Amino acid sequence: MAKTIIFLCRCFGEIGAAIDLDHLGERVKEDGAVVATSIVDSLCLPEDIKNVASLIRESGAEKVVIGGCSPFGRADFVISGLTREGIERENIGIVDLREACSWIHRDDPQGAVTKAWNLLAMETGALEHRKRSEDAVIKVRPEVMIIGAGPAGLAAARSLIRLGIRVHLIERGGSPGGMLNLISHVYPSGESAGEKIAPYVEEIEKNTLAVFYPKAKITSFKGFAGDFKVTLNANEKEHYIRVGAVIIASGARTLLPYGLYRYGNLKNVITQMELERQFIKGTVNTRSAVFIQCAGARNHDRPYCATICCPSSLKNAMRVMEELPGAKVFVLHRDIMTPGSVMESYYRKTLSQGVQFIRFEESTPPVVLGEDQVRGVEVYDAINGVTRKIDADLVVLSTPLVPNEENRKLADMLNLQLDRYGFFSEIYPLHPLETRIDGVFICGSARWPVSSDQAIVQGEGAAIKAASLLAGKEISALSLSRVPGVKTGHATVSKDSCTGCGNCVSVCTFEACRLQKIDGNYISRVNKMRCKACGNCVAVCPNGTMQLPEINYRATGEMIRRAFGDMQ
Amino acid sequence: MQKKNNTSPVLIIGGGVAGLTAALDLAAAGQAVHLVEIGGSLGGQVAKLDKIYPTDHCAFCPLWTDIKRCREHPLITVHTSSTLRELKKKDSHMQALIVKKPPAIDEARCIFCGRCQKGCPAGAAYPAGVHTYPPVYRIDRDACTDCGACVTICPTGAIDFHRREESMTLAVSDVVWAAGFREIDVSPLKEFGYGSHRDIMTSLEFEEWTAEAGPNKGTILTKSDRSIPESIAFIQCTGSRDQKFLPYCSAVCCMHAFKQAQWVQRRNPAVRCVILYTDLRTVGKDYYAYALREARGNGITLIRGRPSLIHPLPGGNGIAVKFEDTITQKREIWKFDMVILNGNIGPSLTGDAREKSVAPALTGEGFIDTGVDEGSRIGCGFSLEPADVAESAIRASSAAVRVITGQDSRQDERG
Repeated sequence: MAKTIIFLCRCFGEIGAAIDLDHLGERVKEDGAVVATSIVDSLCLPEDIKNVASLIRESGAEKVVIGGCSPFGRADFVISGLTREGIERENIGIVDLREACSWIHRDDPQGAVTKAWNLLAMETGALEHRKRSEDAVIKVRPEVMIIGAGPAGLAAARSLIRLGIRVHLIERGGSPGGMLNLISHVYPSGESAGEKIAPYVEEIEKNTLAVFYPKAKITSFKGFAGDFKVTLNANEKEHYIRVGAVIIASGARTLLPYGLYRYGNLKNVITQMELERQFIKGTVNTRSAVFIQCAGARNHDRPYCATICCPSSLKNAMRVMEELPGAKVFVLHRDIMTPGSVMESYYRKTLSQGVQFIRFEESTPPVVLGEDQVRGVEVYDAINGVTRKIDADLVVLSTPLVPNEENRKLADMLNLQLDRYGFFSEIYPLHPLETRIDGVFICGSARWPVSSDQAIVQGEGAAIKAASLLAGKEISALSLSRVPGVKTGHATVSKDSCTGCGNCVSVCTFEACRLQKIDGNYISRVNKMRCKACGNCVAVCPNGTMQLPEINYRATGEMIRRAFGDMQ
Repeated sequence: MQKKNNTSPVLIIGGGVAGLTAALDLAAAGQAVHLVEIGGSLGGQVAKLDKIYPTDHCAFCPLWTDIKRCREHPLITVHTSSTLRELKKKDSHMQALIVKKPPAIDEARCIFCGRCQKGCPAGAAYPAGVHTYPPVYRIDRDACTDCGACVTICPTGAIDFHRREESMTLAVSDVVWAAGFREIDVSPLKEFGYGSHRDIMTSLEFEEWTAEAGPNKGTILTKSDRSIPESIAFIQCTGSRDQKFLPYCSAVCCMHAFKQAQWVQRRNPAVRCVILYTDLRTVGKDYYAYALREARGNGITLIRGRPSLIHPLPGGNGIAVKFEDTITQKREIWKFDMVILNGNIGPSLTGDAREKSVAPALTGEGFIDTGVDEGSRIGCGFSLEPADVAESAIRASSAAVRVITGQDSRQDERG
């Protein structure tokens, strides 16, 4: 049995007043492993740590159990202090006697003592069996693959080459620019789309660190953070590349709203993208245009707001009025989505230019009038409570951006998740550019519809995330943890007892487990770089071969045994 | 990795989500960082939130992790309770004077026992926000009478009112402004009735009041008599989108109201929630579905209209809200038990607490003006443009890369 020392903290009476620690100290000593107990007033004050560390050394104990407060509060200081003093994290057990016992069970002191004793006994028993996962260190490939050469991908690429990192820029189409190639001008700056993207393209083309693959498709994808192995087919040529990180900037596509507002049926019912094309060609011609917002969005089929349609409409409305003096523009909208300072003033500017805004409700959508061409639009003006008939010769539908059809395939290949609409999922709002797979980042409209400016900002953000990952020459599997010192390691297989049943392979959602033939038998292997220690494999392993060393079955079993006694 | 031709650390002003993200990204890329936070702990405004949208998660875990990583990163030096007092250009770098006003309660010694709060006759001691790390008590120096009761009662000797200001001069290469937002007092706008009734509160006050770790453990109660309210009105665009007050849209308030209304409904389905809005701005990832799922499923009433008057009823029995429903064109006066004002937030850099001499150029609305060449000052988070958690984190990462690649702030994009 490993020698254990137990510290019980009075916490200046916060624990000591409710729980009789002297009595508790005597009881825990009954455990043969406990070589010493020490009851102290505090453990977490700056002067305590050295003292505690020397007591541990003197006692000759290998394991330390701290009976103090919650590890989300002050006990965290004790852990980090002791690890700084050279005591390994897996040899330190924390038992929460303050928040979880003394405070919450104020009205049941006897119960609090019993719970405290149980928790201490469980932790002491578990600590005996806790192990540490072996780390794995891999050499980093200091290169990044960027999927998509739209504004997001180009911004990411430019930032990375400025940081001296080699970039493989993969584009499905023939040339860089993405959706900016299809539009005339961008909001809110009013620059032409070409001007916006040119400096990025120019810098990337000049720089030898960037390789551009037009007409490219990914054919296979393997590996892990720091070393992904990718085969591509670009211009009908095979390429094999190894990259440390991947940035998905594959954008989104526009919706062709067949069946809505007589699109496809009447000639002059077009989408905003077609209007953009007319701007580029200089063929816009209207006396009176009606823009209809949320065409195909914020409805039952697509219950989301695609962010960019309102601002794009404002931009195009102003442009129509600018190019065709005397023309009228009506924007039929539900809510005007211009949050923030810049976009709200853009909206005010549009209002001041004489663009007319009419609000309609989802339940009473506008009706496009005309037999063989657009004659007008009838709409129930929700603010004024009247039905209005607007003479118009052009109807422009603001359609949402929708996810690329290839997203599913790409997500499957990279083992990512898509959200319910088909865009790529982030891990959580505080880390919006990161995905469930380390080393794979998302940005731009592949994540969620965004403007070109926002796509650029996100591309840059993804670039620093990728660059940070590749900043060192090596990456260790344990360092991929977001919580320093708290990651529960990774699953470990015992070669001797694995029967090669493959249960673990089928439940691993991170594709970390696979079967390998060794000496004629299949046994499971865990890729430490991909494993997230979720424990799925442990749960389905029929004979306990698969374990998480930090919370292995012996430790857990011992905790249960001590809590509930031997179950016969 | 190539760096801008210097090795001086980068100064980040503000330790909220934006500042934390920028600091972690810069440090991970090998850049030393000084993170200056005016408050006592890292985490900023998000640390005060009970829940975050659209995941409905408690913000604590991811925030705690990032704060811990920041505090333990060898390349990040954290300065809490500190402000930037002076910023001078000197040759290729800048000289920054940082002044630290240590709080009366030393965070290294406060064990969060709460004896100071119980023992304070003036009620000046209070626990810092629900999600602060480490958990710590604070003393409101304005309410404090210097009686010294807490100093004697504190078991660890954590309280000292005579800690000296410390100042230090740092040579820094860049400044990233991530100062975040602050609440703007709406009492000058008499129609909202703020200050006339205890149950007319701002949404941040409401968040704290109803937080699971807050004073009522998540129970929805009125502030005036701690009874269960029958109805709550959420007033959007309080003071914002108003040319005479705050012309901009604060961007986060629509979703914030949806979040609060649905949490009220979840905790007590009997409470009727009404949101009075101008436009429902739900543009972020999954926001629209989040908003409408709850509005449809739980019977949160959405009314398009701005109140013209909010006034307590005689005897303090409820609050009258007068408004025109712009969809039915009817003028209404409804009685509510609580009124939550939402939207009155603005960039912190306009606050008095900031030294005007060091602040970057601001737009007329108080946001960092990226159109003015201010050397290498870069902004992110709410002080650049109204932004929620996700947007702040994205802009912070982008700011980090712009600092390292030496991108001119003139090339900054917003929108």
